[in-house]
Amino acid sequence: MSLLVKFLKALNSESSPWQIAIAITFGMLVGFTPLWRLHNVIILLLVLFFRVNIASFIVSVVMFSALSLILNPLILMAGDSLLVAERLMPIWTWLYNTPLGQLSQFYHSLTMGGLTIGLLLAIPILLISRLVVIQYREKIMAWVNKLKVVQVLKSSSLFQLYQSMES
Amino acid sequence: MAQNIRWQGLAAFVLIVGSITAISLLFLDTWIKLGAQKGLGHALGAEVNIGQVTHTLSPFSVMLTEVQMTDASAPANNKVQAKVVSADVELFPLLMNKIIINQLQVSGVAFDQSRESPGEVYREPGQQQNFVPSFNDEEIQFPDIDELIAKSPLKTTKAIKDAEQTYALHKEKLETQYRSLPNKEKLESYKQQIEVLKDTDHKNPTDLLAAKEKFDRIKQEIREDKQKFTDFKNSVAEAKKDLSPKVAALKAAPGEDYQQLKGLAAGDAAAISDITAMVFGEQTRAWSEKLLAAVEVVGPMLQNNKEQVEEETKDRGQWYEYTDTTPLPDLLIRQANISIDWQQNTIDSQWQDITYDHSKLGRPTIFAVDAEKSNLWQKLRLNGDLWIDDLGIKANQSWDLAGFMMQASEMVAEEKLSVALTQALLNSVGKLSIEQNMMEGQSKIDLGALKLDAQGSNKLTNVIADSLNQLTDLSIDTKLSGDLKTPSFSFKSDLDKKLANALTNSVGVEAQAKLSELQTKLDGQASDAINTNDQQIAQLLNWEKLASGNVQSLDNLLKSKLNSLVDKKKDELKEKLLQKLKF
Repeated sequence: MSLLVKFLKALNSESSPWQIAIAITFGMLVGFTPLWRLHNVIILLLVLFFRVNIASFIVSVVMFSALSLILNPLILMAGDSLLVAERLMPIWTWLYNTPLGQLSQFYHSLTMGGLTIGLLLAIPILLISRLVVIQYREKIMAWVNKLKVVQVLKSSSLFQLYQSMES
Repeated sequence: MAQNIRWQGLAAFVLIVGSITAISLLFLDTWIKLGAQKGLGHALGAEVNIGQVTHTLSPFSVMLTEVQMTDASAPANNKVQAKVVSADVELFPLLMNKIIINQLQVSGVAFDQSRESPGEVYREPGQQQNFVPSFNDEEIQFPDIDELIAKSPLKTTKAIKDAEQTYALHKEKLETQYRSLPNKEKLESYKQQIEVLKDTDHKNPTDLLAAKEKFDRIKQEIREDKQKFTDFKNSVAEAKKDLSPKVAALKAAPGEDYQQLKGLAAGDAAAISDITAMVFGEQTRAWSEKLLAAVEVVGPMLQNNKEQVEEETKDRGQWYEYTDTTPLPDLLIRQANISIDWQQNTIDSQWQDITYDHSKLGRPTIFAVDAEKSNLWQKLRLNGDLWIDDLGIKANQSWDLAGFMMQASEMVAEEKLSVALTQALLNSVGKLSIEQNMMEGQSKIDLGALKLDAQGSNKLTNVIADSLNQLTDLSIDTKLSGDLKTPSFSFKSDLDKKLANALTNSVGVEAQAKLSELQTKLDGQASDAINTNDQQIAQLLNWEKLASGNVQSLDNLLKSKLNSLVDKKKDELKEKLLQKLKF
């Protein structure tokens, strides 16, 4: 709940739309692939080290993880077809015989499929997210703030406590 | 740029990664323990327990203590157990999912020790050969001999058929040739005609010339008839050559069938004539499990481990494998020293290049035991090699054990018979080879200074017990064969013959009657065919004699000449000419 509030707050705050869009994109990459993978450690480092909106990132991970369950057959199909592609075989063989290749676990179809689909969608998701954030702030924010559910959330003791702590 | 960097975030990252690493290291021993128990258990097919795991980071090494591997065929016992297993593991290859152990030390290895509680069995082992019969001679159900003979694929039946077919093959040709032979009258007429020609006084040269021509004609006929006899003689010899071994096989067949069926006919009473296997079978299997531990235990474990890698890849999402271009196999133990505890003695074995991917390594696993003289043996040498690839296990092993002092032990503990070894001095040499998981090997076991304590509880087992108690030495030829997981043993010794005779004389009346009935029926089945074949052979011999005699007679006739007659005439003419010249 607090994360959702934080996410809404980020949307409503002065955080740069890029920060939120990058967070959503990184969240998608993590959400589409199994958690314990080398690239996810690197993403975590990037998210923490650079001013990427952490709440947006976490919400994005949760949402895209849920979406990956629905897209699982597609992700597996993509991973399988890439890993058995004759033309790519020399690359996979070379990578398979390097420590980096072994640590990345690229030869797992779910990892390969999720990462490939994630990377393909990264730029569109980045741009769309940024656009949505801007549009939201311009056109929807005022309307959302008037929503009863948001008002209830904002008036909740938890939210008050959170705000006081943050201030 | 600086405004986009969050230094606290970097600290948080270090904290998160550091915490995960710390937790991993904290529970590393537990994870190794659980992983090893699961992995080894899967490879062995039965529960594996590890008492404790400790590790050091630099150099990276792991030590396992109190390792117990359940015997799948006897879950109350451990197939193998070890007090300490320690391994120096190379760290960098671990990044490539390769376990490279430079030095493995295994000490306190013991076989067939009882467990505190029975272990779980994941895969049922293959059925083991049973050497000991029931001895319940009172409850033996005797089958109907006619039914038994009808159901069994008899050598006698086959031998009869073979002999018949062989004779039939020659019969037609021989009869045709025999019919075309000249009869006695014709041969007599040749003789008479030649005599007449020789005795006739030819008055003039014209008559003489005519007689000569007739003589040559007769000789030509004789030559043709001689050729017929020679051909017939050759055919008879050929038939005899083909038929004789068939008849010999036919005569031996009832005896062989009897040997094969006597166990079925007289129940266990006759089957236990394979006494060597009964008394020494279990013990020999136990010895072989120790002597062949390298190929019988380690080999299948390594092979199963290879299969396990393939099985685990079929999890959520597919794990693909590509050509491994690195020169190292997935598992390699460069050097291993395994110390086996056996009856208060320690046997050190040296191993090199333990792996399950020998094709990649390019050389086999080599192992050797060269135990010094101890209070239990004079000499113990064992060496071999092991190669595992996609086709299975290929291995060779040879051993030489001399002057091994056997400990008192129970050999047979059945209700009707118990045999205990009091003392024996064992010598054994042998070799074994395995090709695609199939074993083939032989060994000679000499037991000297032998003392057995055998006791029977019925007539049958008393005979066995008496014979065993009188034994002072025994030489057993053992053969190993069959699949690696369920090897089969066969034994041969003088004891079998001695006891078979003793038993035949003492088996129960009904069993003896059944055996006699079987012998009579088998003999009866073959006797008609044997008689027929004997007659056929006799006929062939007669024909051969006849042909030989006639060929000899014709040869003599062919030697007859008209020359003397011509010479006589020449002399007469010469005399006449001389008288005319005188006048």
